[in-house]
Amino acid sequence: MGKITIDPLTRIEGHLKVEVNVESGRVTEANVSGTMARGIENLLKGKDPRDAVYVTERICGVCFAAHGWTASLAVEKAQGTAALPDAARILRNLIASACWLHDHVLHFYHLSALDYLDLSVLTQYTGLDPFIIKIRDLVKNELNNPPVEGEYAGPLLPSYSADEYCIRDVELVAGLVQHYLDALSIQAKAKKMSAIFGGKQPHQSGIIAGGVTQVPDPTQIYVYRSLLDEVASFINNVYVKDVIFLAQALWPLAKSNLGVGHQNFLSYGGFPEADGSYLYPEGAIINEALVENNRSNMVPYINEDITNAWYVSGTGGHPSESSQDFDLDKPGAHTFVKAPRFQGQPMEVGPMARMMVAARREDHPAFMNPSVQQFISLIGQGMRPGVIARHAARALETQMLCKAMERWLQEFDSLAARFRNKVVIHDTAHWDPPYSGIGVGMTEAPRGALGHWIRIVDHTIGNYSCVVPTTWNSSPADDAGIKGPFEQALLNTPVPDENNPVNIGRVIRSFDPCLACAVHLYTPKGETSEWIVP
Amino acid sequence: MKLFTITRRQFIKMVSGGLAALGLTPKVKGTELFSSTSLKKPAVVWLEAQDCAGCTESVLSCLEPDLKTFLLDTAAIRYHETIMKAEGSIAESALDEAVNEGGYILVVEGSIPAADARFCRVSGKSSEETFVKAAGNALVIIAIGACASYGGIPRAGVTGGQGVSYFLDKHGINKTLINLPGCPCHPLWFFDTVTAFLNGEIIRIDAYKRPLKHFGQTIHDNCPRRPRYNANKFLSDWNNPGERESFCLALKGCKGYTTHGDCPLIKWNDGVNYCTANGAPCSGCTEPPFYDELSPLYAREE
Repeated sequence: MGKITIDPLTRIEGHLKVEVNVESGRVTEANVSGTMARGIENLLKGKDPRDAVYVTERICGVCFAAHGWTASLAVEKAQGTAALPDAARILRNLIASACWLHDHVLHFYHLSALDYLDLSVLTQYTGLDPFIIKIRDLVKNELNNPPVEGEYAGPLLPSYSADEYCIRDVELVAGLVQHYLDALSIQAKAKKMSAIFGGKQPHQSGIIAGGVTQVPDPTQIYVYRSLLDEVASFINNVYVKDVIFLAQALWPLAKSNLGVGHQNFLSYGGFPEADGSYLYPEGAIINEALVENNRSNMVPYINEDITNAWYVSGTGGHPSESSQDFDLDKPGAHTFVKAPRFQGQPMEVGPMARMMVAARREDHPAFMNPSVQQFISLIGQGMRPGVIARHAARALETQMLCKAMERWLQEFDSLAARFRNKVVIHDTAHWDPPYSGIGVGMTEAPRGALGHWIRIVDHTIGNYSCVVPTTWNSSPADDAGIKGPFEQALLNTPVPDENNPVNIGRVIRSFDPCLACAVHLYTPKGETSEWIVP
Repeated sequence: MKLFTITRRQFIKMVSGGLAALGLTPKVKGTELFSSTSLKKPAVVWLEAQDCAGCTESVLSCLEPDLKTFLLDTAAIRYHETIMKAEGSIAESALDEAVNEGGYILVVEGSIPAADARFCRVSGKSSEETFVKAAGNALVIIAIGACASYGGIPRAGVTGGQGVSYFLDKHGINKTLINLPGCPCHPLWFFDTVTAFLNGEIIRIDAYKRPLKHFGQTIHDNCPRRPRYNANKFLSDWNNPGERESFCLALKGCKGYTTHGDCPLIKWNDGVNYCTANGAPCSGCTEPPFYDELSPLYAREE
């Protein structure tokens, strides 16, 4: 039996440590730990409630816009905003969705795809692409021992050795590395799109409590639309095709149980539409049953356990009662990540959870979407809900989002044409913080279900809490000993060579972890029935 | 209408501005180790502590200069948790190897906890320990973003996050430090500083170790809303097109008057926008007091 520790597990956001026990080439025990905390929610206490939008935006520099957007919904509820102006809803959708295009493309090419490529075959590259030739020479040099100083192939090398699931065909590897380089500018352009309406990215400034700060002029909309054409073309013609190709090339892996976890899935519903529905439907699946399809009804059943986390003992339980105090000396604790549970169950959140929920929501327009149908068809062909399925779900939902963004642009055009100079983007009547109030904001972030809770006391923040996608996914075992989704998905992972545990990273990365988000401090106080959900 | 009074902080800034005028600016001399004729690429070791990866993402939002040129031609990225292929023990030894060789540009992203080192650990070591070791052999240190520069948002929390200069002082390490604050740091501030340094140029810096080239003027100095400020016109409702497009944002908490940076000149994300142009008040993210002492961000300064 061997014990393997991977720390840092790189190419994710944040600091993650993975420890596994391996017996007869399989993982028999797994512990994952978030190893950094900042105390963001705690420091918000006593601050102006509107600051929460700005500060929580900075929880994560990769899924930017998601936190600011969710915080604004929570603050608006607490401040008594009647209804978000429709123009603000559309502009927020467009600010946030552009970030998703960035996030998913970056996650696949720059963070995950390298797990499936044997870059050493590039030494045989005989093509003419100048950048691939450069990489070839750098790889050649680095594989020499010792290499010429200064000529390193970082960040592409060094790495674990390639295994049986790595693509070794030199043309295919060169093609995917070419897409890695192309995707560098595509993800930057997606951020640029978001900045056109949001001010800047990362960390937009355009979403504020009550609405947004600017009405784009026709030129800005034109620039956004033309960039969307370019980015969407890459997504449809390169990204989705690469992922589907990879799924087919690695079909034995797609059919295997690599990365299959509890198979409980949760989605709060993402991107509000004009009719009050969501582009990505709401739903919770436990033991293959769709147990809930309304986000408001989910709130009372969200609990957090801190048995194995560095928080003061005896303070877990329902979010409204749990505490925010660190205990770095707590015996047995190994992580800063709490363990959220829904109806007592660990839940996987993220693109695959959204796809699984959409596949069960025949009553929802998303069910008939071609991207959802393609996912259903892949599952029908025997693809297991594991590592490859997560990448496929992510690519397919990006394709679905591009279509919706075109629609939202049209919605904004017609709204601007109708109201001209009188487009309403902000609820100014509820700008100043009230004496007291409570609110919840719930959305879908690129990595899954995201909720913010706020309580306003004496015009300032009395309590603030975020329950974040990676908190769900990277949670430790709870007091019943039930493992979190990462840990469960790691069990039985094949590790034929303990010095080369490449499958561990594949499993973890398929979730697109964000540990800076996951480590949060607090959860709201109050009766669950009080929470008002948008 | 007098909206602002001069604080001690601003006074210090004015004095340091005065020193600049007399040619007494502190400065950093770049290196000539990596001249254009040298084949050797400078190594970059990029440490992330209490970060959100936003500054990495910001550098990756750059379209010009081209990122692939930077990655393949300009620098050898020896360690960077968010983008490197190496993981686990391979990553740990890549860091050790680079640090032992020395002579790299050390980029630090995120604050380092001062209250208890256990709030940030990677490879079983505290980020303070890793930073101290890496700083010792670095050619120059660049603190990227508000958190690494001055502690940023985490400074206000129980972990007591502090910037690089705090730990250089604490451990008595004498190294050249350039602070590139901002939340996040603008990609051009980073590329410009790295390029200037590698070309052996002299980088003039202010009292807070920020390059004067980018932090020599305030947002207010170049703000397109300045004429309306001069005319005492202040935005009170974002729904009013005239106010939204050109009125001063001071009543909404804008800190542009005392915030140093060239956002209005170079703009963000390939020049498409920036905060005050978008109608959002400047938060003061490049200033040492950010965030705690600048709160509330959306209410008029008292």
